Amino acid sequence: MSRKPRFIEHGPRKRLNRNFSRRGFLGSLGAAGALTPFLPMMRGHAGGTEFPVRLILCFSANGTIHENWTPTGTVSDFQLSPILSPLESFKDQLTILDGLEVLRPGPGDGHQKGMALLWTGSQILEGTEFAGGDGSSAGWGGGISVDQHVANTVGAQTAYKSLEFGVQTGGATVWSRMSYAGSNQPIAPEPSPAAMFDRLFADFDIDTSELERIKAERGSVIDLVKGDLQALSPKYGAADQLKIEAHLDAIRQIEQRNDLAVPVCEIPMLDTTLPHDANENFPAVSRLQIDQMVMALACDLTRVASLQWSRSVSGTRFDWIGVPDGHHDLSHLGDGDQSMVDKITAINTWYAGEFAYLLERLASVPEGNGTMLDNTLVVWGNELSRGNSHGNHPVPFVLAGGAGGRIQPGRYLTYDRVPHNRLLVSICHALGLDEQTTFGDIDSGSGGLDGLT
Amino acid sequence: MGVRIGHACALLALVGTAGCYDGLSGQDRSPFGAGDADGGGADGGDGDGGDGGEGPVAGLCGDPQTGPTALRRLTNDQYDRTVADLLGVETNFSTSFAPDERIGAFKSNGAAPVGQLQVEQYMDAAEGLATEAVSDLGALLPCDPTAMGEDACAEMFVREFGLKAYRRPLTDGEVAGVMAVYADGKAEGAFVDGIRIAVQGLLQSPFFLYHIENGIEAGVPGEPVALSGYEMASRLSYFLWNTMPDDELFAAAEAGDLLTTEGIEAQVDRMLADDRSYEAIADFHLQWLGVDHIEALEKNPTAYPDFTPELAAAMRAETAAFSNWVMREGEGSLQTLLTADFTITDDPDLLALYGATLPAGHTPGDPVPLDATQRSGVLTHASLLAEHAHADQTSPVHRGQLIRENFLCQMLPPPPMNVDNVPPDPAPGATTRERFAEHTADPSCAGCHQLIDGLGFAFESYDGIGAFRDLDQGLPVDASGAIFGTDDIDGEIDGALQLAAQLASSRQVSACVAQQWFRFALGRLETDDDQCAFDHMLESFDESDQDMRALVKTIILSDSFRFRRVDELSAAPLDPEEI
Repeated sequence: MSRKPRFIEHGPRKRLNRNFSRRGFLGSLGAAGALTPFLPMMRGHAGGTEFPVRLILCFSANGTIHENWTPTGTVSDFQLSPILSPLESFKDQLTILDGLEVLRPGPGDGHQKGMALLWTGSQILEGTEFAGGDGSSAGWGGGISVDQHVANTVGAQTAYKSLEFGVQTGGATVWSRMSYAGSNQPIAPEPSPAAMFDRLFADFDIDTSELERIKAERGSVIDLVKGDLQALSPKYGAADQLKIEAHLDAIRQIEQRNDLAVPVCEIPMLDTTLPHDANENFPAVSRLQIDQMVMALACDLTRVASLQWSRSVSGTRFDWIGVPDGHHDLSHLGDGDQSMVDKITAINTWYAGEFAYLLERLASVPEGNGTMLDNTLVVWGNELSRGNSHGNHPVPFVLAGGAGGRIQPGRYLTYDRVPHNRLLVSICHALGLDEQTTFGDIDSGSGGLDGLT
Repeated sequence: MGVRIGHACALLALVGTAGCYDGLSGQDRSPFGAGDADGGGADGGDGDGGDGGEGPVAGLCGDPQTGPTALRRLTNDQYDRTVADLLGVETNFSTSFAPDERIGAFKSNGAAPVGQLQVEQYMDAAEGLATEAVSDLGALLPCDPTAMGEDACAEMFVREFGLKAYRRPLTDGEVAGVMAVYADGKAEGAFVDGIRIAVQGLLQSPFFLYHIENGIEAGVPGEPVALSGYEMASRLSYFLWNTMPDDELFAAAEAGDLLTTEGIEAQVDRMLADDRSYEAIADFHLQWLGVDHIEALEKNPTAYPDFTPELAAAMRAETAAFSNWVMREGEGSLQTLLTADFTITDDPDLLALYGATLPAGHTPGDPVPLDATQRSGVLTHASLLAEHAHADQTSPVHRGQLIRENFLCQMLPPPPMNVDNVPPDPAPGATTRERFAEHTADPSCAGCHQLIDGLGFAFESYDGIGAFRDLDQGLPVDASGAIFGTDDIDGEIDGALQLAAQLASSRQVSACVAQQWFRFALGRLETDDDQCAFDHMLESFDESDQDMRALVKTIILSDSFRFRRVDELSAAPLDPEEI
């Protein structure tokens, strides 16, 4: 311990990326073309007829400007609002849900509740986890989120049960986590495109015998770690045992993947080297994460994914669209301030453009007679209705894709303060969990949203 | 032992009618009325029992008492520093790990379990580190495998390295388990591969990744039991160094020295004098002041063209160096920390921001005098002022909230929800203060905001990166403010220097600082069962004239630090068949 430490830089996986670290680089604008070398590998996927149904959740923060978000017209004949105008070319793939309410009993402030309840539909835990930083005594979210619930069923056969992508998602707080493996079990998204790239694609380019050796070594280590966790568990009380079980569960998932053959899948070419935390790189990181997500889905590495743009109380400064103000501060200004309305509209319109890019990438992957978008359900939500009121109604939800035929898109559906738990149930139905009748603990109703699935 | 509410009731009365609907919380969550001016009778019996006792029956307050400590993972900083000490490999691996949780202001991973991503991150790091570690096998091994025999040498390595990695001796069964991994690796490759994956395994074991305190004594569920010597060694090293114990601490643990007050005191003195305490002291202050991520701070370049990543790094370094000077070169005085008219920095850009110059004959690391009419300890550090401000302007709210929560230990309730609390539109050309003054003009906001803004306005003489200013938007700065809702310093103030002087004179503030140190030391919040230890801490902190070094020692010698609460075991332990 007296030796002077020698510094080794953290970088891509040292041993595993020998070849691909060079191959992986293309110009930073290479993303749009990146699927090209990749697609031929996928044509024969799943025998050509059966394609898996996937779920993608998207999040952006701090509410919208409802009057500039909501479409006009009827269920099947509607016009998109200014905010949703970037989605015009996908209008027949959209299902726009207006009038949903996120019920908010229990502890926490508007942002906390909005974030923790968005995909869980469950009350935040009482707790002291965030004492001193936030002015309230909320704990973590109090239930499993719908993506994880779905993943527990549809993720069993894939290398990753689910994948969580983030763009500048911030620290480990209740404002920064939307996905939960269960009560008090927040799931951290991966905010680094480079780290996600390594995670997903590092093993694809390794010599077979080398890979076998690595897998054997990992197998030995996994056995040791499992034994240690097992030995530890009986010495702890219930709350700490849950942590040990969660660690064991993660190890088992890694073990399961370690035992799978590496999927036949071309390594994408992306330049993921940019500083992912810099505000100015927010748009570029968004695109890289979308590209990788679509590749991972197309390659069937997973069937459940999420993309979290920033976090609740996001302070992102949208300089690239001429809005240098911090998003959250801006969202607090009064409705009489037209520049606030214009800027929040511009921010949400920019997010709609990113959402459109995601749909474009999904639609670029042919599957059978259609595209991957037809076999996917994409859901975009927000933790608030409006920033300056911290409102919980109407929270804007935009759905896209056909979920393998379970959803008929191209509709604008309006509801009268219906708890969004109904949507969470519908998401389960769309992914084949037909028995689901309720989701989350905050409302007493049952069933999915009328007319959705 | 009752929970004393202190001044919270008075505050409820104060704010309840003003629309701060929930009053200040904090005191109903934390058992400690931070003021405690009334004494409450609980001080009886503390007396001079300050030796902390020698065992489970002679604790500070009679029977030992301590709150429960959750199973915690190493923080990311702890991971990197531990790896550096363990392997001689300095890394920034943890920058790719998921971020740490916080307990109050402080990093501590005690609430949420890990997910798959985090376990994969540990796996990646362990694989990279093990490869690096065996690249200099001679330095890693305690023996010569050729002379001793490969397997015998491997076992010696597993025992010696394992003790450092698990921070306690391994059982024979554990040694056998790691040797089995070694044997697998050797069979697939060579001796070096066996050592490499043994290291991989040790670095992914929960005994490495978590602070394990389940001791040698079974104890009685729900009751306190003394920590083992090795557990004390780890608590000491992660508190005072934020890394693993060194050889001397391990030796003291093995010898049983850490079960006695004298043995602990000797180590604390040694450890505080050691340079390894620098980072931990810096960590406490940076996290307490909310500036530990200032390197990620971005400012609007039009508003603050002088703000660069290098300047942000210099701000961080200044707060780290100044707090270390107070703790290690100075008298450890809270008064100095809050009111000093000097600082520790040699950075020319930061000195320019302060309008200061290095004195003639200045030695790097020595105090640099600042304008005593403008600067007062950490409260006017550029780090604090820049971090708690917006990208293009100041933020009286953020600055006021920091003082209210982290210096007065009063939690503010969240803003009202589901009510129309849209703030009034800003008037063009108004100062920041004038615009924020709307908070206190609107009755629905005033209840809380008078508690925040009255403190925050006192910092209006410092712009969004901490430079002193007379004008805001071309108008004269008004830095007058007011302190409400405290035990002992309510009143009008004008400027940050008066605020600092008031804070430095307040027993509520010194109690709050003690509370912050307690949380940092234990990685958890205080509970009812820590009240006795806490009362004693406050008393001796007062007696020492707010000497934070004495405070640190008192915390370490308290029951809360030396005992753990035995868990009520779960009725249904994991099914081994599942594993």
